[in-house]
Amino acid sequence: MSDQKPIVPPVTPETQHRVKYHKEVDLLRSDLIRLGAMVIETIPQGTEILLSGSLTNAQSLVDSDDLIDQLSISLEERTYSVMARQAPIASELRHLIAVTKLTAELERSADLMVNVAKASRRMYGADMTPEIRGLIKSMSDEAHKLMRLAVDAYADADESLAAALDDIDDELDQLNRDMIEAIFSAATAGKVELPSAVQLALIARYYERIGDHAVNIGERVRYMISGWLPEQAGAARAKNRAELAKAESDEA
Amino acid sequence: MSSDPVVINLEDVSVYYGDFRAVRDVNLPVHDNQITAMIGPSGCGKSTVLRTINRMNDLIPTARVEGKVVFGGVDLYDPQVDPVEVRRRIGMVFQKPNPFPKSIYDNVTYGPKIAGTAKSEFDEIVESSLRKAALWEEVKDRLADSAFGLSGGQQQRLCIARAIATNPEVLLMDEPCSALDPIATGRIEDLMEEIKTDYTIVIVTHNMQQAARVSDTTAFFTAEVDPASERRTGLLVEHAKTDLIFSNPEDQRTENYVTGRFG
Repeated sequence: MSDQKPIVPPVTPETQHRVKYHKEVDLLRSDLIRLGAMVIETIPQGTEILLSGSLTNAQSLVDSDDLIDQLSISLEERTYSVMARQAPIASELRHLIAVTKLTAELERSADLMVNVAKASRRMYGADMTPEIRGLIKSMSDEAHKLMRLAVDAYADADESLAAALDDIDDELDQLNRDMIEAIFSAATAGKVELPSAVQLALIARYYERIGDHAVNIGERVRYMISGWLPEQAGAARAKNRAELAKAESDEA
Repeated sequence: MSSDPVVINLEDVSVYYGDFRAVRDVNLPVHDNQITAMIGPSGCGKSTVLRTINRMNDLIPTARVEGKVVFGGVDLYDPQVDPVEVRRRIGMVFQKPNPFPKSIYDNVTYGPKIAGTAKSEFDEIVESSLRKAALWEEVKDRLADSAFGLSGGQQQRLCIARAIATNPEVLLMDEPCSALDPIATGRIEDLMEEIKTDYTIVIVTHNMQQAARVSDTTAFFTAEVDPASERRTGLLVEHAKTDLIFSNPEDQRTENYVTGRFG
């Protein structure tokens, strides 16, 4: 068998056509990974601001979000242009659709860290219990890890990792529940003022949402690799129910 | 629309065949080192306009051009202008590959020979032209063979090599891929992208997707029909960056054409 020619001929520089198009797609891919890296960085930065109460750093995080927005818009515009002009098909079409979805998920995640920075301004000078501080740090670490794994899954086209993100996110969801309980007990014991308690609950929610965005990225990476769509299971159930209902009404 | 300087400027160009006005009032700047595509339905005058740029319409006895085609500060229709020199500096590649019934080598040296280039330079011109046309590796061992032995795609790349052998500044391409298969078409499109750093390219194409893929700016032409005579006169509807033409054109007629609702 070893002297047989491979069934699928190898792709080499000589076999490639549409060089400009593939260069554009390669650049979109590397820019999306760059956007991912920028967003991942904001997570520990925002948490540091929150825990240290640095107003200067809070402003610089808000400003750096403009750069993230700028790159997001550029990615979106260039992807639409490639779609309109180059008629991508098959895995390349799925990749470009994934780029638009991932860009939105990443951009939104960065906005959530801006929200954390802004909440730290609103809570300026307020006390936090050691337990709450610890939980914030843990949630931040988990959100950071999830987002890093999600971007890795895209960069390496790793479908198993992409599919695992939903389960990995369970830890962050549990931390969110622990945080809500800790806020309740602290507020009841008079260790945290009500306005701060509300801000803290929102902050917990922001980290928890970043985890959800990472899971969404994983789903879109799976779509990119194999064409799997996240709602397929639910859609199949809805179809079954509709068929069942039709059969019942036909009998009646 | 572009910061690149304008190489050719069509100013109020109308083309007549006898009394009949085939194209009217075209204003179109062609920018340096860019690919300008002309698209539009059949009979909209895009090929006619392309041919005004190197005075190919001169070869049709009844044809007459009004307006100006300014190239290097000179109106190409000025009586003092030598049309042969115009065609040397503004080369053309046609729809069907049309190599001469000669060897590959002689096809490339045909233009330089007429221009009086020294024979000692021919080898170098042949190699560099064929390299630019991305054909050298495929034909370097059979330069003395007939050009007719090449495939259609190779013949068209030979025609491009022949056109650039006289060292033109502008290349006009009239449907250069319509007789080629998709792979050969892809090769020509990649080639256009490569050589546009050295030449300014104007391409007429029926294949709208080709214009979308390769060009920097796109000019959309359409035709208006005279109700009395039912004759069609072409006009330029919109000229803009290709991104805009294919994502958000300004004129409804362009939108209708690129989305396939008209044409």
